[in-house]
Amino acid sequence: MNFSPDSKSLTPQPDVLVADGLRKIYGRRRALQGLSFSLKSGRVLGFLGPNGAGKTTAIRILTTILEPDSGYFFVDGIGSEEPEEIRRRIGVLPESLGFPKQITAIDFLSYFGQLYGQSANNARRNTLVLLEEVGLQNRAKSLVGTYSRGMRQRLGIARALINNPAVVFLDEPTLGLDPRGQQELLTLVKRIARDRKAGVILCSHLLAEVEGICDDVVILNHGQIVAKGSVAEVVGRVERNMILISLLKIRVPSSFLAKARQILEATPGVQNVSSSDDSESRLEAELINPTGENPDKIYQINNRLLSDLIHAKIPVLSFDMGGRLRDVFLHLTEENIE
Amino acid sequence: MSDAAFRFGNKQTTGNVAEVASSGRVLPAWWLVFKRELSELWIWGKALTLVILYSIYLGVSSYIFAASSELSLIPPKEMVYLTISGAITVGLFVALIIGADSFSGERERATLEALLLTPANRIQIVLGKFLASTSPWLVAMIIAVPYIIVLSQGDAILGTAMLWGAILGTILTPAFTAFGMLVSLWTNSNRTSYFVSLTAYILLLLPVQFPTSAKAGTYGKFLQQLDPLEGADHFLEKIIVSNRTAAELMPFLWTSILFALLIFVVLFFFAAPRLRLDGGVPVKFHRKKNGNVAISVLIALCWLSLSSHPVKALQPAQRGSFHISIDKTSAVAKNGDKIEFHTVVTNTSAQTSPPLIVAMNIINLDSTGDVVDPEDWSPERTQYLTSLKAGQSSNQSWILNTILEGNYMVYMVLIPTPADHRSTSQPVTSEGIHVTVTHFTRLNPGGVLPFSVGIPLLLILIMLGLLRLRNRGIDMGNS
Repeated sequence: MNFSPDSKSLTPQPDVLVADGLRKIYGRRRALQGLSFSLKSGRVLGFLGPNGAGKTTAIRILTTILEPDSGYFFVDGIGSEEPEEIRRRIGVLPESLGFPKQITAIDFLSYFGQLYGQSANNARRNTLVLLEEVGLQNRAKSLVGTYSRGMRQRLGIARALINNPAVVFLDEPTLGLDPRGQQELLTLVKRIARDRKAGVILCSHLLAEVEGICDDVVILNHGQIVAKGSVAEVVGRVERNMILISLLKIRVPSSFLAKARQILEATPGVQNVSSSDDSESRLEAELINPTGENPDKIYQINNRLLSDLIHAKIPVLSFDMGGRLRDVFLHLTEENIE
Repeated sequence: MSDAAFRFGNKQTTGNVAEVASSGRVLPAWWLVFKRELSELWIWGKALTLVILYSIYLGVSSYIFAASSELSLIPPKEMVYLTISGAITVGLFVALIIGADSFSGERERATLEALLLTPANRIQIVLGKFLASTSPWLVAMIIAVPYIIVLSQGDAILGTAMLWGAILGTILTPAFTAFGMLVSLWTNSNRTSYFVSLTAYILLLLPVQFPTSAKAGTYGKFLQQLDPLEGADHFLEKIIVSNRTAAELMPFLWTSILFALLIFVVLFFFAAPRLRLDGGVPVKFHRKKNGNVAISVLIALCWLSLSSHPVKALQPAQRGSFHISIDKTSAVAKNGDKIEFHTVVTNTSAQTSPPLIVAMNIINLDSTGDVVDPEDWSPERTQYLTSLKAGQSSNQSWILNTILEGNYMVYMVLIPTPADHRSTSQPVTSEGIHVTVTHFTRLNPGGVLPFSVGIPLLLILIMLGLLRLRNRGIDMGNS
């Protein structure tokens, strides 16, 4: 059940979360159909799936907000029959977490620290450390109602860490953030796993970013796991068993559009080339990797294409080949997401 | 991990949690939630606003009562009762509003999940919120004290009235807070929670507004005892106004006590342990069917109680002859003055009279003026006399409170008590007193005005002071 350990980690890490056969049915809808996976400390697990795949249900079960119809799970060695003990060991940033507006960040975090059994002094001390960790130390005494969306998300993460949890659940933490905010937050997530040795479960639709920071991935569709393992394992496994079609997006100056299109159409493995000569002068094409061929074939096509464009002295303004995880996700879930 | 290892679990933890385990005093969750809720309610929230509105209500109603007192329309005992009853009614409304927001409001604001994700015990969370939600009653009670003291005008009933007012409020307010919380716990939106809570409150309040005849019959009394609000109100009225003892009125209080106990048990032992992120009653409730039955029963009870009015005596009969004289023929007074006059009833017959009744009547001589309600004009407009021997006379004193400008005729009616339920008697009328009432008002009746204006102002100042105190350590800059 375990995923392959990261090549960088020499000592095997303990499982901080193990789920086995979790099922949940709402009326006639099967939200979860036997969810089983595990997570090691210090690793980030991307929990992916299209809307309605069962991600939020799974997280609510694992965070003891919902009871499963059947199945079992352990968090940091504590079985699911002890929900209060599990809650002591987890930190959660729910997808839509509301904040009281008329409270300062210090008071907000101290309150939660005390609810986790810390004395008032300890809770305040931990609060100050956390606010610095999430970069809110300068706004510690501000009312939460004056915070921006990004600041509230960081405060939410600080709240999830107030009990120094063994497992941290982050449900769409980057939702509604600008690109810089997203980047900062994902860096923070990676740091939480690395420095605190916590297992992190990250739900996100930003597949390229997830691919960048996640060690492992679980892909859910219709309440079932369709792929799980390390990111490399999942991508490799899928690529070996499918005709992988990637969407390539290239931007060139308007005057080079026709020439670039010729090169694309002349390249083997490239099909359905289209162009739009608007202010952005974009070219789009599909790259195809036939069954049974080397999974790296698509990247070879990409490299060759880029090389041809450079040799033809065409200025390449942008070259977006999409993420491998994104392609795998789309293939497995057969849904388009942005 | 192998499946076997997984099944038996691995109690070896990472120790992350232990690292933050505290030295120092750890406070119980209910106390933390209570403190937090208290701060939310009083410093930033709706409790202080509602209590200010409550104090304004008390100020206005006390002023009106005091003005009426100047006219002796309402005796002090009754004013004390009305003030305490009003304070409890409005206090319950405040408690209900706060209780009804407690969980559904948090669901709407998406703040409940964070609380449920902590290891805090669910019952302790509910207890903390409950205690904070009942806090407005304590403040409301303290605010009502000066009004009650002023309006009692030194009447000996003050101590008893305050004691029973406090006891009844302390039974009912937590019960209604708990009721509001219960509804809130089971609903997802504040709109639904408020609607259900306030509808139930109005339904319970309705019997209080029923006419006296509706409360007189067997079913009327049954309804009074069945309704915790009406029962408590009746209990309070009889204790304060009619000098009845608590022991003889206990049946009217039991419903309130049982109602409170029932709500507490359901809230803390049934609903609180099942507190969930989403609302919904955990048992099936066939609302429509039960609602129809409840409405039918209510209509039937109202109809029966309204129809159980006293039977009238019909058969006429007459014994003896009488004369009633009056010592005034006219009087001019300012609005708010008292007019005292005397009557003499004489048995002019040769036989002993039956017991006699003398009643005061007032008629507005201005055809376009208001119809007079004699109850408003005199605290005692009927006197009962014992039998008079032949030729014997009896003197009576009367007080008339002038409450409205205009021209009136006051006259007395003497009624011999009929011999039995099949007979009647011939009333005898006195000469009239022509009363002219001229304009007069007083700005500060009973000295209540400083309280009516001062207490709300003081509360507003306290609110501003609390906000200022709270804002001291806060960086008010925007992001």
